[in-house]
Amino acid sequence: MSSSDAERNRVFWDQQADSYQATHREHIGRPEPRWGIWQLPERELQVLGDVAGKDVLELGCGAAQWSILLAAEGARCVGLDNSERQLDHARAAGAGFPLVHGSAESLPFPDGSFDLVFCDHGAMSFADPHLVVPEVARVLRSGGLLAFCLTSAFAWICWDDEADHTDAVLHADYFGLHRHVDPDGSVHFQLPVGEWIRLFRRNGLVVEDLIEPRPPEDATTTYGYDLAWARRWPLEQIWKARKP
Amino acid sequence: MTLPEHARRNRRAWTEFASGYAERAPIGWAREGITWGVWGVPDSDLHALPDVAGKDVIELGCGTAYQAAGLTRLGARVVGVDVTPAQLETARAMQERFGLEFPLLEASAEDVPLPDASFDVAVSEYGASIWCDPYRWIPEAARLLRPGGELVFLVNAPLAMLCAPFDEAPPGSELLRDYFGMFSFEWPEEDEAIEFHLGHGDLIRLLRANGFEVEALIEIQAPEGAQPSRHPAMPSPEWARRWPAEEIWRARKAG
Repeated sequence: MSSSDAERNRVFWDQQADSYQATHREHIGRPEPRWGIWQLPERELQVLGDVAGKDVLELGCGAAQWSILLAAEGARCVGLDNSERQLDHARAAGAGFPLVHGSAESLPFPDGSFDLVFCDHGAMSFADPHLVVPEVARVLRSGGLLAFCLTSAFAWICWDDEADHTDAVLHADYFGLHRHVDPDGSVHFQLPVGEWIRLFRRNGLVVEDLIEPRPPEDATTTYGYDLAWARRWPLEQIWKARKP
Repeated sequence: MTLPEHARRNRRAWTEFASGYAERAPIGWAREGITWGVWGVPDSDLHALPDVAGKDVIELGCGTAYQAAGLTRLGARVVGVDVTPAQLETARAMQERFGLEFPLLEASAEDVPLPDASFDVAVSEYGASIWCDPYRWIPEAARLLRPGGELVFLVNAPLAMLCAPFDEAPPGSELLRDYFGMFSFEWPEEDEAIEFHLGHGDLIRLLRANGFEVEALIEIQAPEGAQPSRHPAMPSPEWARRWPAEEIWRARKAG
């Protein structure tokens, strides 16, 4: 079962998968785990901790660049994606672990199946967090971690639609931030910081960290974002919440 | 008590401000129930406070102690702490006028001469929460609270601080300062007062490092029909309908 937004994003990603992977393959396909728009190394951000021997679910795995690297570190990975075409890329990349076609709004796993559920600009950006977070809380084991990276609320409100980039002006309202339909047809989600905390707490998760990564001066990206802006204001946020 | 430079500056500034706040103190003291921030949003709407009846509560940077008075009326045993004697003089005058007594203590909220684990709840509204160094006052609040105790404090939202021109004009819709590295903010024209504001991630890490679990961040939206604040540097109600000017954090000490 999935919502109409999940359907829209499925169509979008099935159409976009080939060109997305071709455009970003080298940037996001490097041989160590890295986060987000600027591909900041996990070894510096230290978000996930030791994954060896852990049951790990990636929400919106795309071509499974992340999970392939975590599997090599000894994690028992499962990659979930809403787009079958994205999963074709994961299979082509040699993902040797289960790849599941489905929306993160409704996870086809029993309660308490995972030690770590994570995504990097994945399902938490493309499915309604009000639906995804309860599902994650359900499939996490006690002591398990939810960690995800997405574009910040800051970037959302400073986005100039006409110019198609961020600037130093507050364009959009912060209150009510939730869902945005892009001109390309894809549907994106983000919440005010306080709403995230409320959502975690309501689902029994403890807020462990909010990392607002600042890219270094020489950071590069294939995603077209403005480095000068991202050096001044948080373009991305990485949340960590743990099930007690 | 040896005060650090920023606390001396702020005490000097608040000694200057005190007469203006003394004039308005009766309004806050006469108010029914607890409200928060410049828009006076009732706690019954925001649910920031735990039940305080029968609890030991400390207000950190109480000023004229209108919040402490409201908390006392709710049945809390309150101690008000402030670093500025002139503000405490007003608080004492209000206690007499309204017939409501509770202890008032002259001290910086960064260094409170009270024993560890003395309180169930620590509260601050535009007190220690913005006028003290968070890397000093939050550890001190953690020390003063009992295990399971709650810390509730109101600050200005980062967005409002980054848009504030700091020349008595209200924030516009342009970011004038960087988020990364945000910490101290100085008011050059206002007797060299100095405010402290952290970004969300830094504040969460600071709370966690001091044994707090983050329970809530309530980003306050100005209510419809809100009247402009008398503080010229506060955002307009129209601004604060769109973006948060104020936010309340609630954190619980583990245990």
